Amino acid sequence: MASVQPMLGCVWPARALGVMPEVGVGLDELTGDPLRFYTVAAVVTVVVTTGLLAVLRIPGAWIPLRTWFLILPIALGAIWLGQGAWTVLVAVVSILAFKEYARVTGLYRQPLFVVLVYGAVITENFFAFVGRYDVFMAIPTWAVLALALVPIVLRRTEGMLQWFALSVVGVVFFAYFLAHLSYLYASSLGLGYLLFVLLMTQLNDALQFIYGKAFGRHRWTPISPNKTVEGSLLAGVTIVVLTFLQAAIAFPWVPPLGVLAAGLIVTIGGQVGDLTMANVKRNAGVKDFGSILPGHGGLTDRLNSLMVTAPAFAHFMGYLFGGFPS
Amino acid sequence: MSGARFEYEPFPDLELPLAARLGQYPRQPDLFYDTARALGRRAAAVFFRSQFRIQVVGQVPDVPRLALMPNHQSHLDTMAVLAVLPERYRRRITVLAARDYFFERRAGAIAASLFGQAAAFDRGAELAELRRWARLLPQVEAGWFLIYPSGSRKRLEPHSGLAGVLAHAGWTVLPVGLAGTAEAWPVGRPLWRPFRTVRVTFGDAIETRDTRELAAELLAFWERHGRLDQPQEGPS
Repeated sequence: MASVQPMLGCVWPARALGVMPEVGVGLDELTGDPLRFYTVAAVVTVVVTTGLLAVLRIPGAWIPLRTWFLILPIALGAIWLGQGAWTVLVAVVSILAFKEYARVTGLYRQPLFVVLVYGAVITENFFAFVGRYDVFMAIPTWAVLALALVPIVLRRTEGMLQWFALSVVGVVFFAYFLAHLSYLYASSLGLGYLLFVLLMTQLNDALQFIYGKAFGRHRWTPISPNKTVEGSLLAGVTIVVLTFLQAAIAFPWVPPLGVLAAGLIVTIGGQVGDLTMANVKRNAGVKDFGSILPGHGGLTDRLNSLMVTAPAFAHFMGYLFGGFPS
Repeated sequence: MSGARFEYEPFPDLELPLAARLGQYPRQPDLFYDTARALGRRAAAVFFRSQFRIQVVGQVPDVPRLALMPNHQSHLDTMAVLAVLPERYRRRITVLAARDYFFERRAGAIAASLFGQAAAFDRGAELAELRRWARLLPQVEAGWFLIYPSGSRKRLEPHSGLAGVLAHAGWTVLPVGLAGTAEAWPVGRPLWRPFRTVRVTFGDAIETRDTRELAAELLAFWERHGRLDQPQEGPS
């Protein structure tokens, strides 16, 4: 593992964010603990955004914001409760998100394929929790092999290639990729990785939307017509700048080039995940994966970016700096 | 270029909120809710049998399209009918329940759907709803319904609406007499009274498709078999 050299004296981002120490909580303690820092930062962000919306009166922005009032306490609450609670939350949310995907594509009418993907989700998260990286990496192989057996067992050919292919996408994106959120909790280098990738990915989505609404003129992909060059670039720049501002708290051992890469992974990876799932929606001819999150759509609409950023970020950091169970 | 193209067939209820999804008929397959419903109806039957002394009179024919039509006098009525049927019959049943009462809120919809096998019937727009069912039913090859033609626990006389639509669509109409449920859980009481006797009487299938005759025959059957103090006799 590479040596860990925390950057000293880098508490100014917290001051810049206006995070004031609470009674009994010193600023050093606040910024030295990623969980406490990101919790305060998330609350401040929501409060500031609420204030801004109250002043600017942007139509249609209240509903997604209200949903964040629900999402944030659940996500941060599970992280505060511990690795077990977080892993259970990731597994449950992954199963529900896969269900949305399966209902959108019609795969949900094939119960055997669906049950096998559910099994992959549960086992992936379990082995992320117990810290068995070897099994964690092997499960997708076994899951795909099990899926390949379904047409053989059912002795059917019609439509089977489609169901098999859709199930493999399910295993990769909803079981393997999303389980990296559980795996990031297992890092011996603290919760900075998980909190950074979780919150910055969501912020990246929000910034693309806001910048796109405010400055967007040029659309750059037919897969997601709302994406604009201006929105994507401005969100990317903002995320990279914010990554540098918080690197001293989230991962102080990472050198500047690594910090730059982390920011790029979040902003580019987020868009790749978003567009990948948007492609599924366009093919199926639906607008959203569901309606469980008012203003956002389904869980998959909220998680699509994380499906790419979480594994890309985890493997990038794990390869360069270690810190994950093997 | 040859070869099959992928054909996506999204579920038609993607946009519906949960309460509406649970209330739809025909139901879309759902691993979670189908499993929960299987457990829920068994639990409800076990609970009912543990709470009341049950008498069953008559038999239920094993036909693909059957409409059970009991009198309605208590919240226990649905559980009483479901509890006395074997599971292989019970799982076929869809109970049509008032949308405005059971499916307006998520918790109510979950309870009605999981424990009572319920689907929603919109009695607020009854004519349009009857037309919808009249169009839908001919496409249903097999299915058992449990409906309350009287529409309310406070009324005995049957409305001819949905009962008539089912009869016209070729469903076998089976009158069911429920006795004792009114005493076991009277209207207006917050809780049931355990260890009371409940009698469920399954009649002979009603052959007529005339809605007025159907209503009259149902009423006559309920008057004969709807009270415990009436002498117990075989269905006729």
